[in-house]
Amino acid sequence: MINEILVYLGEALVAIGVFCDLAASIGMIRFPNFYVRLHAATVGTIGGAFVPLIGVALIALGAEWLGTYRFFLAGASVVTAVLIIILAPVGSHVLARAAHRAGVVKVEPKVVDHLEDDRSKEVN
Amino acid sequence: MSLEQQVTLFILAVFPIYLAAFTLYIIRAIRGPTIPDSVLAIDALSFDIAAFLALLSILYRSPILISCAVVLALWVYALDVYVSKYFEAKDMGD
Repeated sequence: MINEILVYLGEALVAIGVFCDLAASIGMIRFPNFYVRLHAATVGTIGGAFVPLIGVALIALGAEWLGTYRFFLAGASVVTAVLIIILAPVGSHVLARAAHRAGVVKVEPKVVDHLEDDRSKEVN
Repeated sequence: MSLEQQVTLFILAVFPIYLAAFTLYIIRAIRGPTIPDSVLAIDALSFDIAAFLALLSILYRSPILISCAVVLALWVYALDVYVSKYFEAKDMGD
């Protein structure tokens, strides 16, 4: 009984993750510039990688046909999920900061960019 | 239908959606107008491949495959940090 509950819960999490992954990849293609694509990348990493890894850990705990090593699989999945939820936002922020400061990417469909204005005032 | 068959069918049904998402990420990584676009696409692609490997290890009944996923997550974080450091300082550093 407990195995069925764990497996169904895990499958629900994996299904949510797959939906987030597809939505993020479509956004990655359709969005106009780099700073908007950061939003799609965040959906793709947290929704598309963290949630399915927790789901895989639950499936592995309920899957008796995998043998004793299923506990290794569940533990390593949780460790990977925790690593991803820490490292993915840090990586996106570091990349956005570097791209804006170095001027590698123009903010192309732009209404206003206060950060750029303030920085050019500081130089003068 | 036993639980094992049900999980196998579910994972097989999920795989084509993952592969479609990977294809779209790869298109953005190749086409990306600037380098941060490509790096961002590779970033999201690698984190998703880590989740895909975890599903593969259930499908192939070999839990040892999950150790690749940990390495992949750490490696792509190192890629982010090195590319950003190169943009800010024009130098790879140590």
